[in-house]
Amino acid sequence: MPLPWPGNYSNFIERNMIDRRLLSNIDWILIALLLWNSALGVVFIYSSSHYLPGNFYLRQVIWIVLSLIALFLFIMVDYKNFLTYSLHLYIVFVFPLAGMLIFGKLVARESWIRFPFFQIQPSELIKIIMILLLAQIFSEYKDRYFSWNKLLLSGGAVSLPILLVVLQPDLGTTLTYVPIILAALILAGFSRKNFILLLILALILALGVWNFFLKEYQKQRIITLINPLQDPLGTGYHILQSKIAIGSGGFLGKGYKKGTQSQLRFLPARHTDFVFSVIGEEFGYAGVIVVFLSYFLLLSRLFRSVDKSRDRAGIYIIFMVAMMIAFQFFVNVMMVIGLFPVIGIPLPFLSYGGSSLLTNYLAVSLVLNVKMRRFVNV
Amino acid sequence: MKNSKIYEDLSLIKKRSLKVFLLVEILLVALAIYFWKIQIVDHDKYWHQSEANRIREVILPAPRGLIKDRDGKILADNIASFKASFIRENCENFDLFSLRVSRLLNIQENILKERIRKYKSWPQFKPIVFEDNLSLKEVSLIEGRKLEFPELVLQTEPKRFYPGDTFAAHTIGYLQELSEEEIKSSLHKERRLGDLVGRRGIEKMYDNLLRGQDGYYVETVDSLGRHIGMLEKRDPIQGYTLRLTIDSELQAKAEELLGGKEGAAVILNAQNGQVLALASYPTFDPNKFINLFSPEEWQDLINNPEFPLENRAIRGLYAPGSVFKLVIALGGLDSNLIAQNTSFFCSGSTRIYNQPFACWRGGGHGWTNLFNAIRNSCNIYFYNVGKRLGIEEIASYAKKLGYGSRTGIDLTGEKEGLVPSPEWKKKVKDAPWFLGETISVSIGQGPLLVTPLQIAVHTALIANRGVMVTPHILKSYQDPDTKEEKEVHFSPKSINPGIKSSAYEKVIRGMWGAVNNEGTARLAKIQGYDVCAKTGSTQVVNSIKGGKEPNPEDELKTHSWFTGFAPQNNPRVVVTVIVEFGGMGGASAAPLARKLFELYRKKYD
Repeated sequence: MPLPWPGNYSNFIERNMIDRRLLSNIDWILIALLLWNSALGVVFIYSSSHYLPGNFYLRQVIWIVLSLIALFLFIMVDYKNFLTYSLHLYIVFVFPLAGMLIFGKLVARESWIRFPFFQIQPSELIKIIMILLLAQIFSEYKDRYFSWNKLLLSGGAVSLPILLVVLQPDLGTTLTYVPIILAALILAGFSRKNFILLLILALILALGVWNFFLKEYQKQRIITLINPLQDPLGTGYHILQSKIAIGSGGFLGKGYKKGTQSQLRFLPARHTDFVFSVIGEEFGYAGVIVVFLSYFLLLSRLFRSVDKSRDRAGIYIIFMVAMMIAFQFFVNVMMVIGLFPVIGIPLPFLSYGGSSLLTNYLAVSLVLNVKMRRFVNV
Repeated sequence: MKNSKIYEDLSLIKKRSLKVFLLVEILLVALAIYFWKIQIVDHDKYWHQSEANRIREVILPAPRGLIKDRDGKILADNIASFKASFIRENCENFDLFSLRVSRLLNIQENILKERIRKYKSWPQFKPIVFEDNLSLKEVSLIEGRKLEFPELVLQTEPKRFYPGDTFAAHTIGYLQELSEEEIKSSLHKERRLGDLVGRRGIEKMYDNLLRGQDGYYVETVDSLGRHIGMLEKRDPIQGYTLRLTIDSELQAKAEELLGGKEGAAVILNAQNGQVLALASYPTFDPNKFINLFSPEEWQDLINNPEFPLENRAIRGLYAPGSVFKLVIALGGLDSNLIAQNTSFFCSGSTRIYNQPFACWRGGGHGWTNLFNAIRNSCNIYFYNVGKRLGIEEIASYAKKLGYGSRTGIDLTGEKEGLVPSPEWKKKVKDAPWFLGETISVSIGQGPLLVTPLQIAVHTALIANRGVMVTPHILKSYQDPDTKEEKEVHFSPKSINPGIKSSAYEKVIRGMWGAVNNEGTARLAKIQGYDVCAKTGSTQVVNSIKGGKEPNPEDELKTHSWFTGFAPQNNPRVVVTVIVEFGGMGGASAAPLARKLFELYRKKYD
């Protein structure tokens, strides 16, 4: 009878060594950048909400801690496992969430699922599963150029959650799905010709959405983007006030907690979607550049992680995550300065909001996951 | 390319992703340039805009609806009042502010601070009212120091004003500030601290109609508080104008006649229950509630043993005394226990159930039939009828005829009185009913309690030969903008006493005799006007706040009742008067009622 212990011993050592190697392969710089951006967020959430009841900055800190724990839990599982089970995850999570969304929409008319102390926007978390599923679909796709049946397959996979989110009057969240799919299509070699075709298709769809789905206030927002002065007290008012906030900040800003626009509540959603206006007002152009630099470092770290991946699925994952975060960042920054309609997309990591924070942390955890296992998945 | 053997070639898609990152970098730089333009190049423009950009929300309180009498005379009006408010965001040194302003306006500093502290949850820019009803001198003091105190603003707002002071005060009611607890309760959802709400009378009953809807405007002001632009405005909507059924002339006469005597007077339209006058004395000045009492005035008012705030007409509980004999008479006739000619001998006293019972007239009335019994208010007669009826029947008829339940008048706080019965006594006092008590109840004594309004409604029922009316005070209400006026219809209570109409005629004949044939109510006689009435004198417990139950230890007082209607056929008006300490029978109440009848006749006939 063979002794179990010595036989398994070397195996154990080996596994442990792998674990240790994994640990040393964690991209700590990326995590540090995450935390830096999150900390900036807390500082300005405090400035813009300290006079409101609710201790938003404290709640944000709690969300950051929880998200960080979730991040470390997620990188312990090999992302290949996630990919293998991505369709299962999709079925297990998307359908019940879809059910809850429909239920919520019909019954509570809300896109939030409420818990006693916090609430979650399921449409945010679905993005993670979409990324995994798309990476799985495209991982075996080695053609040089894109084919339509792949578009149909991937489109079919993600159309259900998109449809659900479109059904809610939540234009912002719907739009954040676009860069994920776009990222997959770009990597798959979507040609310019096809892109134009898709654009025409999107235009037709947009016309349909404009005429049948968009609420009057959403249309109004898009119209006022074109001419904010046309309706200075309505939707244009927010854009104008946000622009005034940023513009009046000057080079060094008005000082922390001294922004008149935000402290006097001219700004809407100061601690959520418009937190960047507060930064622009209170720390001026210098503050804006600091945030831009922080994002440049973060995005560059994310995009360049593509180089570190040794498998196709990993590259897809990293690229989709990077695109998702970059898109939200640009849309939010352009929104507060009046270059994009006010559609309620938060500034990733900086805006107050648990669901968005958790989703973005989990997304980055996938990137970390791919990077740290780049040597072991052969 | 050693790796290519182990790993697949991914250079193509890596190249694609890095191309996209190049776009990201370009976009980031472009945005950095755009922010440079907004923040550095156009900075001056936005700086000035943000300086101009201070918002201030000002509530425009809706004027309360007017209250008018039936002829359109204004009973409750609005006048302009000045309020001093504090705006937190403009204040640099709160202690200095409170010190200087407390001296300027002569308010105690700690009171001023406390008033402002109450509103600590309000936004910075919202004005907090800390002083009301400024005199013109104070207004000019503040105006003159406008630049010294950017945190101090003046607002004018409509203020309730009762031109008649105490006139019809109990009917109109008064206003008071909502307390913090009330604002938190769901009843007053859209109300703010400092809002006034109707506390009594019409002001309370129809608060929803009178209140209107506050307006507001949101203005931008510069850092010195100067107006720059209007962002949003909603005009206040005045509350409905209420037209009451009150006839000011009759009301004034009733108040004048009651003046100095504690008591109440009610004048009803017999046919439709409209209340022409509802007076209660002593009274109060509702203006005092708006202008805030001095502490001494307030103490005087609430500690006054005569309860000037109480509306005696609907809340005063009295024994009906001999007025109740009408119930016994109707009950006896309806149950065929007596007829027109049934007579009893009155020797001035009698023994029933082995107890002595006296008539109010020591010498007695001799042989007395129903007509004379009512005319002279003979106790002995009604002792005997009451004995025949028994307490159950008496209680049943009393309830049918309007006692023991609210009349349903549109005023809050009406009391329902008490009609005693053996069950009641068992339940409340845990004691059996004594037969002797039935005899006391027969002449309106004992635990019986009624309000003057109940007596009036009861009288209208007799005058109408069995048709009940619901007394009401609101005649119509009018939208102040569209002038569209809506009449209010009070459906009569669906109680049909079911008493045969011949009984009413016989009782009414007795009431006619009481006035016009040297009866107890002869002091109310008017030449050429058929007044029918019944007087009463009653002992009352000296506590109108004491709830339903009389307390045997309460001091007893003798009060004077009069209730009557005119004319005998097709009656149009009911007058009910109670004068506390008014002495026996109709001595003081009847002449008072006569003057009211005379005035009514002069005005309406």
